[in-house]
Amino acid sequence: MSMSTPGDVRRPSTKKVATPAAGAKKSGGSGKGTPTRPAATGGGKGRRPVAPVKVSQGRNWGPIALYVTAGAVALGIVVFATVYLLQNKPDTRPWAERAADISGITNYRETDPKALDRTHAWGPLTYTINPPVGGTHNYNWQNCMGEHYKEPIAQEHAVHSLEHGAVWITYRPDLPQDQVDKLAKKIDGLSYTMLSPYPNLDSPISLQAWGYKLKVDNADDERVTKFIQALRLNATMEEGATCSTGITQTGTTPYDLGKDSGQTSTQ
Amino acid sequence: MSTTDSGTPRRWTHVLAVALAACLLIGVGVSVGLLLSHESTPGTDSAEAGFARDMSEHHAQAVQLSMIAYSRATSSDVRTLASDIALTQQAQIGIMQEWLKAWHLNPTGDKPVMSWMPDGQMSVESGNRMPGMATLEEIDKLRSATGQQVDIQFCQLMLRHHLGGIHMVDGLLAKASDPRVIELAKGMKSAQTGEVQALEMLLKSMNAPTG
Repeated sequence: MSMSTPGDVRRPSTKKVATPAAGAKKSGGSGKGTPTRPAATGGGKGRRPVAPVKVSQGRNWGPIALYVTAGAVALGIVVFATVYLLQNKPDTRPWAERAADISGITNYRETDPKALDRTHAWGPLTYTINPPVGGTHNYNWQNCMGEHYKEPIAQEHAVHSLEHGAVWITYRPDLPQDQVDKLAKKIDGLSYTMLSPYPNLDSPISLQAWGYKLKVDNADDERVTKFIQALRLNATMEEGATCSTGITQTGTTPYDLGKDSGQTSTQ
Repeated sequence: MSTTDSGTPRRWTHVLAVALAACLLIGVGVSVGLLLSHESTPGTDSAEAGFARDMSEHHAQAVQLSMIAYSRATSSDVRTLASDIALTQQAQIGIMQEWLKAWHLNPTGDKPVMSWMPDGQMSVESGNRMPGMATLEEIDKLRSATGQQVDIQFCQLMLRHHLGGIHMVDGLLAKASDPRVIELAKGMKSAQTGEVQALEMLLKSMNAPTG
C-alpha cells in the first residue's frame, strides 16, 4: 500500500483507494495521453497498486453484477432466438419433396407422366395403372366429401376427383371390418377424401392422389396420415376445384350425366 | 499517477468489453427482430392456421348443402340464398387456402380438427365433423328428399351449420392476432348472422321448425 502514496496523498484513507482507479479510468477515457507517460516510467513500481484495484473490485460488485447479468440476459435472448427459430423453422420445401419423404410412395409424375393425361371422355375407360392415379376421365367427378362408398365406384369418376385434389383410399374387399372402420373414421367429414372397396387389389389398402400411389397393409400405418397430409389438396391439378356436386352413386359403370346435352367443354 | 500505467492493458479490456457489449446488443436486436417477424407468419399449431384449415372444411360442406338446394329446392327464395352461400363460401375457401400456402403450411394439419380452439375437441361430434356440420346420413337424406322437403331440410341443416360456424369464428377472435384473418372472420360472422335470420324466416314461412 506504500506505493499507492500518490493516491494516498490525495485521499489518505483506504476507503478512497478506489478513487485513483476511477480517476485513472477517467484520464484514460478522456484521452489525456500526456499524464500517463510519466507514470509509465515507473511502470515496475506501478504494478503494485494493482492491489488497490483489487480492493476496488471487491467494492464494485454492484456494477459487475449488473454488467454480468445484462450480458447473460443478452446472451440468453440470442441463444433462445436461435433455438426457437431453428425448432419452429417452417418446412418451406415444396409439397412434392415432403411427399417424396414417405417411404414406399410411387410418383408416377416422374416415372410415367404419359399415364396422366387430362382429357375428358364418356363411357368406360381402361387404365394401365390400377387403381388409376390419373389419365383420361369422365366429365363428372365422384363426390369426394369424406364419403365411404360401401360398393366399388367408377374409376372414370374417381380419377376426376383426384384431378380436383382428392385422396382416394381403396381397400381390398376382404379387409377386416375393423380396419375398414378405421379408414372410414379417419376421413369422415374430411373433404377431398373418399374411401371405396376395389376388387383384386394387390395390397390390402392402396392410397391414390393425382400421380401418386402408396400401398399399405394396415389402416394404422402412419404413412396413411402422412400421405393425406402431403397430398390432399396439394396434388390438385385445378386449384380451387370442388369435391361436392359430384356423382354420389356407386357402381363401376360411369354415369354420363350431361352427355345428351352436348357437353364438350372441360371442367 | 502510477495507476495510469495499467491504463493501456485496461483500455484494451475496455475496448474488448465495449466490442463484446456491442456484439451482444446487435445479437439481441437481430434476435428480437427475427422473433417478431417470425411470429408475423402463423405457425402450423396457431389458431389462424387451425381456423383456415377447419373453416375451409366447414365451408366446403356449406357449399355442398347449398348446391343441392340450389338445383333442387322449390322456392326461388331458398335457391337464391343457397347460391349466395355457395358462391361466397367457395371464394372464402380459396382465400383461406392461399393463406396456408403463403405460410408454407399443409392444407391438412398434424392435429385433430378443432385442436386450435379451447375445448374445441369436445365439440367434434365424430370423425372430423365440426360444430354444426351435417352427418353423411343427413346429407343423403337431403339428397333423396323431394318437393318442399328439400327446402325445409336445407334450411334446417344450414341454420345449424351457420350457428356452428359463428361459434368457430368466436373461438378464433378470442385467440387470433393476424389482422387479415380477423377481418375475414368478422365478415363471416356478420354475414352468417344475417343469413341465420333469413333461414329462420324461410322456415317460419314454410311452417317448419328450426331444427
